Amino acid sequence: MSAPSPAGPPRGAKPLLIPVILGTVRPGRASENVARFVTAHFAAMPGVETRLVDIRDLPTTFAGEGEDVKMAEFAEVCMIADAFVLVVPEYNHGYPGTLKHVLDTNLKEYIHKPVGICGVSAGPWGGTRVVENLLPVMRELGLVTIFWDGNFSNVHKLFDADGRILEPAYTRRIDKFAKELVWMARVLRHGRESVPMEG
Amino acid sequence: MTSPGNPGAPAVRLSCPICGSPMNRHAEKIDTRLASESAGDDALGGVLCEILTCPTCRYVVERRVAELGS
Repeated sequence: MSAPSPAGPPRGAKPLLIPVILGTVRPGRASENVARFVTAHFAAMPGVETRLVDIRDLPTTFAGEGEDVKMAEFAEVCMIADAFVLVVPEYNHGYPGTLKHVLDTNLKEYIHKPVGICGVSAGPWGGTRVVENLLPVMRELGLVTIFWDGNFSNVHKLFDADGRILEPAYTRRIDKFAKELVWMARVLRHGRESVPMEG
Repeated sequence: MTSPGNPGAPAVRLSCPICGSPMNRHAEKIDTRLASESAGDDALGGVLCEILTCPTCRYVVERRVAELGS
């Protein structure tokens, strides 16, 4: 691996792919603004490629569960991803069941990849409870959680009618979150690709 | 990495089925869905699988550890 430059990714490194998964299918979901805000932030980072994966657009079936209902295009994105961002609203302190159903369609595609979670809430706690509830799920899927979260409180007041964020502090907060995730993505990609497990 | 059947000997690295590059084995996981199969490891409660990633095309392979060297 080449030496890192002070301001960006290692020279010659493949860009990191960090998809942002919008984890709700509800009509009128306020989390969509958050997902677009976060996606735009990652898109502006050097050495990072991103895309918004809206689970509402996936060909989800409920006629089965787990990898029996794997979706080829979603699995492909997860396979080549280096890290994930989940944007998840808190519904009655929990995460949307549809998101769990979708995440469960893959497994090997996640292993030893980092994930950052952005909790979204209508109230003042920024989805802290849904983030906590998701942590053991992430671990069981083989994902590696980072220690920064995104917490978007009072989400219905946080964006204007055109989806622009009204509170500038969120830009700095999400930058801290993003830099931690990118660092983890670089380290774990090196590990997945180059550090063999003994035994 | 050494071959489990022959400690000290270099392991045969799996070639990526997509691009042919040598893959890196970086994880193991118990598949509990296969616990009732004869190939299951009673002590571990399922079938031990390994995860390999291709450094060139990022393809991921999951296979039973028993298939090592095949």
